[in-house]
Amino acid sequence: MSMQHDPDLDDILQDQELRHVADLLRAAPVAAPPIDDAFRSSLRRQLMNQAWGMGGGVPWWRKAFGPSTFVWATAAVGVILIGVVVVLTANNPSGSLDQVYVTSPISNQSAVRLQQPIQVMFNQPMDHPSTEAAVQITPATTVAFSWHENTLSVTPTAGNLAPNTQYQVTIGPGAKTASGQSLAAPKTITFVTAPPPSPSPSPSPSPSPSPRGVLTGQHLLVSLPEGVTNVQWSPDSSTVYFITGKGALESVPAAGGDATVLVPDGVTSLSVNPAGDHLAYVRKGNIEVLALGTATTVETVPTSTPAIVGWAPAGVQWAAADGVFTVGPNGLVKIAALPNTGTMTPISFSPDGSHMVFTLDQSLQLMDLATAKSIAVGQPGAHFFGWSPDSTGILYSSAQSVVLADVGGRYTSSLPAGDPSWSVQDEILLGSDTALSEVRPDGSGETMLQEGTFHNPAWAPNGTTFTYFRGGALFAASAPAAPPAAAPLDAANSVVSSFMKARKDNDVARATQYLDDKGKKSYSGSLNLLVTGDPSFSRYYVLTQEITGSHPDTVQVVVRIVLSHDNIDISTYEETLTLVRTQGSQQFLIDDASAGPLLTLGKSAEVVSVDVSSGTVKVTFDSDLKPETVVAGVIVLDDKGKQIGGTAVYTSTNRTVTISGLDLKPGKTYKLVVLPTVQDVGGNNIAAEYDLTFVGPADEHGDKHRQESPSPSPPASPTPTP
Amino acid sequence: MSDSPRDDERELVDRAKRDPRQFGALYDRHFQQIYRFVYSRVREQTAAEDVTSEIFMKALKAMPRYQDTGRPFAAWLYQIAVNAIADRYRTLRPTSPLEDFHDLSIAGPALEEQAAHRDEIRRIWVLVEALPPQQKMALVLKFQEDMKIEDIAVAMGKTAGAVKLLIHRGVSRLRDEADSLRPAE
Repeated sequence: MSMQHDPDLDDILQDQELRHVADLLRAAPVAAPPIDDAFRSSLRRQLMNQAWGMGGGVPWWRKAFGPSTFVWATAAVGVILIGVVVVLTANNPSGSLDQVYVTSPISNQSAVRLQQPIQVMFNQPMDHPSTEAAVQITPATTVAFSWHENTLSVTPTAGNLAPNTQYQVTIGPGAKTASGQSLAAPKTITFVTAPPPSPSPSPSPSPSPSPRGVLTGQHLLVSLPEGVTNVQWSPDSSTVYFITGKGALESVPAAGGDATVLVPDGVTSLSVNPAGDHLAYVRKGNIEVLALGTATTVETVPTSTPAIVGWAPAGVQWAAADGVFTVGPNGLVKIAALPNTGTMTPISFSPDGSHMVFTLDQSLQLMDLATAKSIAVGQPGAHFFGWSPDSTGILYSSAQSVVLADVGGRYTSSLPAGDPSWSVQDEILLGSDTALSEVRPDGSGETMLQEGTFHNPAWAPNGTTFTYFRGGALFAASAPAAPPAAAPLDAANSVVSSFMKARKDNDVARATQYLDDKGKKSYSGSLNLLVTGDPSFSRYYVLTQEITGSHPDTVQVVVRIVLSHDNIDISTYEETLTLVRTQGSQQFLIDDASAGPLLTLGKSAEVVSVDVSSGTVKVTFDSDLKPETVVAGVIVLDDKGKQIGGTAVYTSTNRTVTISGLDLKPGKTYKLVVLPTVQDVGGNNIAAEYDLTFVGPADEHGDKHRQESPSPSPPASPTPTP
Repeated sequence: MSDSPRDDERELVDRAKRDPRQFGALYDRHFQQIYRFVYSRVREQTAAEDVTSEIFMKALKAMPRYQDTGRPFAAWLYQIAVNAIADRYRTLRPTSPLEDFHDLSIAGPALEEQAAHRDEIRRIWVLVEALPPQQKMALVLKFQEDMKIEDIAVAMGKTAGAVKLLIHRGVSRLRDEADSLRPAE
């Protein structure tokens, strides 16, 4: 079939097949797009207003009476008129003004409560039937009307507004005042609703407002005018060892009592071995190991004066200017060389002896003794604070906070400023001049324990007792059991919130801190950390989240990113984030991310929340639906594409479709499908099939851990420091 | 004898260059065409309205600098439109937004009687959406908007030769792809 001849293409498409393709291309009729005449005329008005402002070749008399000049010329008259209007209005409380004004207290608001009517306020009495008839609401929602004076309350008959939804309520020009005057132009009120309420309260994310005052057994251990350093606990938490200001090595029972002098003088560094039966220390330039059971001492003479001493599985080790050494069967063994340029100062060995921290000039360096490679951690001038009990993490200072990093130097979280100590139960004490606080390694659950001075707290291995300094004296006390750790979903959601907020703030450095190495790779390809351009990244919400694994805890979160133009939601896409709880800090980091296609938001129903449990999937829509279209329109498929579960049931009060009778297997992949046959109450079909792939929830946690989209205020948002 | 529609347009353009308030006549003349083109690319009414507003606002502001090169005024509007559409979606990740939204229901009633032919047209336009952006735009302007090569060159900011090359490559690729997708008879 040959179509019209186009001479333009004669020299391009000489091949018959190419011309056939061209004919096909030309044969597709172009659909007439929906054109809103109101838009067309509104745009024309805007253009003409703009044109007035541009002037150009305009006669003087037109300029004189043109908008800009006229404004100045009539300013004084305007003031007088305003006065007149004020007087007239005062004498005419019914407000019979020419112009009809429409406002709403929730106009342009975000996180609007779900349980409230939409209030539309007019500046004068309105004709109720015509005004109610002129109300249009998207997404499609069945509403009821009520009036109080000049305020119209538009209440969804379902009871609540839909969560995570941008509503547009338009009062069309058909609305008339009580005196019969029509609106000059339609007025639209736009707002965004809050996420659905979390079914179970999260642990408090913020510090307790007042101290709990729950420390017990506070007592003085030792008070010496010359001071005390190198405080160390015995592994059984029964004894505290320390070095006095005069260089004596002493011990004191943790429960209190007299101090015992173990070494009378010359001691500068101390370390208790993991078994607790030997003490290694530096004394007068040599390494001495004291067997506590026999009170015998073995002395080793190093090649240069040791600065610090510690224990590794192979035995005692020390660091000096010429390297890190241990004692082998045949004498001294050099484990690693240390920098010999600049000013190098050994600081500390990790509890398991695998790593060492030293300063090189102003730089804090972390060395892996197995490879003898070191990396800088923190900013220049950062101070080392301590190790995690399992030696997988370190604590150091930044300008305003305490930073946690793993022994690869990777940031994991930051905590409020203070003197930190990390317990085996993954609680971190933060001491200061004024208070003692407790916080989890991911920054959550900060709790003030007691007001007062608590310097350099040091947890005992039992995780309940600790020492601290006050006024130069060494004290001990017991802290209560920490509040339960944040549930995995809460902890993961906190990270997602911080991550998304950083992205919305266009702060790549901050956002990157919530990614592990694999997560960084996810965002180095087709996925962008920053969402820029127009329409712009206006908001996000969690569509669904579930625990998908344990050991380590793994959470999958689907975040929906909404792009808007002029405050109107235009399009959206979903990112599926997999978060894994890291060892050491116990903080969740994003380990994997993928994105779905960009979806244009139309006028049909959208899925705004999905709640998955092993037996049930609940899908919440933003629109009121026709129940009869739901049964066959919302389905769950297994990984072979076979439909599973029972019949979908629609609950109009929360716009939720529930599919029960499922037996979702942990780790198996399933797909939620919403077919275009689903219709809202306005008769609009879903614009396109909606698919959501999800994983069968993990066994261990059961239904109790699954929840709908969480509250927008993130629990304990850690503030990473670049 | 002069080409009267063209002369009319020149007159409107000259007036609008002298006095921007005369731009309304150009807007009335071209609104539907530009809006339809934008809508065909963004496939969503609100987005189409936004982009169309942007195009005409830019055009109005740029009117004093408009140079009549002998091509239709619409070619210049298309140039602004092509850029506005590209700007809108250039930075969006992770996927090109248009592929999913090409309207496959554009076949009219007459074509419904020729199911096979219609299906072929559907397939070919689906393939168009998967072409590289420049090829896709050149084909859309040529076959959907029925523009002349010289006008497409203005709209895309390219030479006529470059546009011809884009069209040739695009159509050739469609032919190759269509062969591979053609269902077994």
